[in-house]
Amino acid sequence: MEEKEKKTTTVEIIGSGPLKISGNFILKDIQRKQETRPGEVWLCRCGKSSNKPFCDGSHKNR
Amino acid sequence: MERDKSFSGGRKYSSDEMTVYWKPEACIHASYCYRELIEVFDPGRRPWVDMKGSTTEKIIETVNMCPTEALTWKWNDEARNANITAENTNHVRFRRPELSRSEGLVAEEKPVIAKVMVDGPIVISGDFTVINDGATKVISEGIMSFCRCGESGHQPFCDGMHRKKGFIG
Repeated sequence: MEEKEKKTTTVEIIGSGPLKISGNFILKDIQRKQETRPGEVWLCRCGKSSNKPFCDGSHKNR
Repeated sequence: MERDKSFSGGRKYSSDEMTVYWKPEACIHASYCYRELIEVFDPGRRPWVDMKGSTTEKIIETVNMCPTEALTWKWNDEARNANITAENTNHVRFRRPELSRSEGLVAEEKPVIAKVMVDGPIVISGDFTVINDGATKVISEGIMSFCRCGESGHQPFCDGMHRKKGFIG
């Protein structure tokens, strides 16, 4: 499953913050029936955002 | 149910009829098993596999969804294992050699799809690099499932807790 060379799409877990995806990817929001190619996105991981699936900084107020 | 640690590098869980093999180092947290059948596969419970949680048919169907060899299965009656068909992808007879890829294999990058599941996790599939806590890991043709409800006991991965907590979003 693992290879040494890095891939062009990166998924980064930011401490107690969001999940950042950047690069060449398709974002399929099944819940809201939207499909986009944002290039870069910060997705909520704390469950508190009022702009789901995106991060709105609410994790800082926990 | 019997739990046996003798299976090399993993565990096995048996019912009267069948055995499920668990190879933790092969797991990529695709989370098909507990999203499909948390009554049997519950990462928050010890032991995490309860063979009494569902029917043999449903357990086989779920193990066959595992995209790696983390979960495989076989009948306890060896005669029945001879008649296994190819749609049973995760029967021990079909452990797939291509999943243990050799080094130097050059392949085009697989497109990355990030799915936001209904009241559930973010499921990312394809070829991508994961950076978690400063550590970089390259995933090839993989699937990973990340917690979106904030309740997982297995952060940053989904452990099925969104269902128990009634997460909406």
